[in-house]
Amino acid sequence: MPKSVRLDIITPEKLFYRGEIELVIARTLFGDEGFMANHTWACKLLATGELWIQEAGSKDFRIAAISGGFIDIKEKFTIFTDAAEWPEDIDVERAKNSESKARELLKDSSRVGSGGKEIVEAKIDIMKAHTRMNVAVGGVRRKR
Amino acid sequence: MAGISMQDIKRRVKSVTSIEHITNAMKLVSAAKLRRAKVTFERTGEYFHFVTESIQDIFNGSADIPMKYIEGNREIKTTCYVVITSNKGLCGSFNSNVIKQAEAEIKADPEAPEIVAVGSRGRDYFARRGYDICSEYMLPPEDISFVETHDVSEPIIRQYEEGKIDEVVMIYTSFVSTLEQRVKIVRLLPFEIKRDLDAMPLEKQVEYEPSIEDVFNYLVPKYVEIMIYSAIVESATCEHAARRMAMENATDNANNMIADLTLFYNRARQAAITSEITEIVSGADALK
Repeated sequence: MPKSVRLDIITPEKLFYRGEIELVIARTLFGDEGFMANHTWACKLLATGELWIQEAGSKDFRIAAISGGFIDIKEKFTIFTDAAEWPEDIDVERAKNSESKARELLKDSSRVGSGGKEIVEAKIDIMKAHTRMNVAVGGVRRKR
Repeated sequence: MAGISMQDIKRRVKSVTSIEHITNAMKLVSAAKLRRAKVTFERTGEYFHFVTESIQDIFNGSADIPMKYIEGNREIKTTCYVVITSNKGLCGSFNSNVIKQAEAEIKADPEAPEIVAVGSRGRDYFARRGYDICSEYMLPPEDISFVETHDVSEPIIRQYEEGKIDEVVMIYTSFVSTLEQRVKIVRLLPFEIKRDLDAMPLEKQVEYEPSIEDVFNYLVPKYVEIMIYSAIVESATCEHAARRMAMENATDNANNMIADLTLFYNRARQAAITSEITEIVSGADALK
């Protein structure tokens, strides 16, 4: 059995998760990356995406949606994120709504203006909505 | 109690009683809200140290971090004051304490201040006195979420990066206990940090991704955001605690007043009865 390591997931509002895990897969800015016990010490920024957690002694993964943040890999793993959600807490309707709203904003370029900030925000909104919808149905990767 | 009729006293007792009902109800409501706010407040406080520790770690571990957030790298001209008050009154001296401190702080500053008002009480006060309020937020603080506080913190960080403001000072009420709250003045930016020479270098090399600057540049604004969020949550907790105390005092005062007035009422009634008896007796005497 692989070694396990303690993982804390912290949001500003609460301690989202704490437990012994074997493997956590997070989306860094350069792509998905898995971390196991005894990983090199690291401090990496995370993008909006899915987070896969394999708890110690378990074969299955738990999935959560997180929106950006960073992971701190030392003897313990700590993930700090603005917001995190388990699939059962995700309101798919709301995610769909926010996606269509962001898409409308992108289409209607006259409203967006030339600042570009709104475009970026709308794209992030779409990404967040996608992540949440994917997580709600069990994650987009490695569907079994 | 000459001059006040029994009818008048009765009316006053009635009105004080209804005020007592209201203040008592408000006290109970505030107590319930306080309990809830305290839970949120305690949760936010518990993990906050983690971000500061990470910043400290990076700072100690590396020489080439961007200096724009660090103290002593630029002259402080414009200061931005974040004043956190409540949206509602009837909470004793809660708001006036914050405002008093904030005003003293602002007056001591020779440069024109920028004021960010969180809560309508502070906004109204400073707007009336002709201060320039660069942004204001009137969200109900009880169930504010971290994402919502982005609206408060994002423009502050942006202005700081653009160089429009050189210092960010936050004035809010910090929670000591349910009976005691204290006004606190905290400087958010530039970040006060000292290179801890005694600190042990981390025993292993840490890998930063995308780069140490990016991680640092992510962490410091995040620190400001979290500080503002936790201050708003803390201030909301204090508001409820202050209101509960104020309403408890009001209820006590109302009860005292009712007791006094009831006493006056009984005396006045007794005096009326006595004088009636005297009149009857003297009338009967006169007939003899």
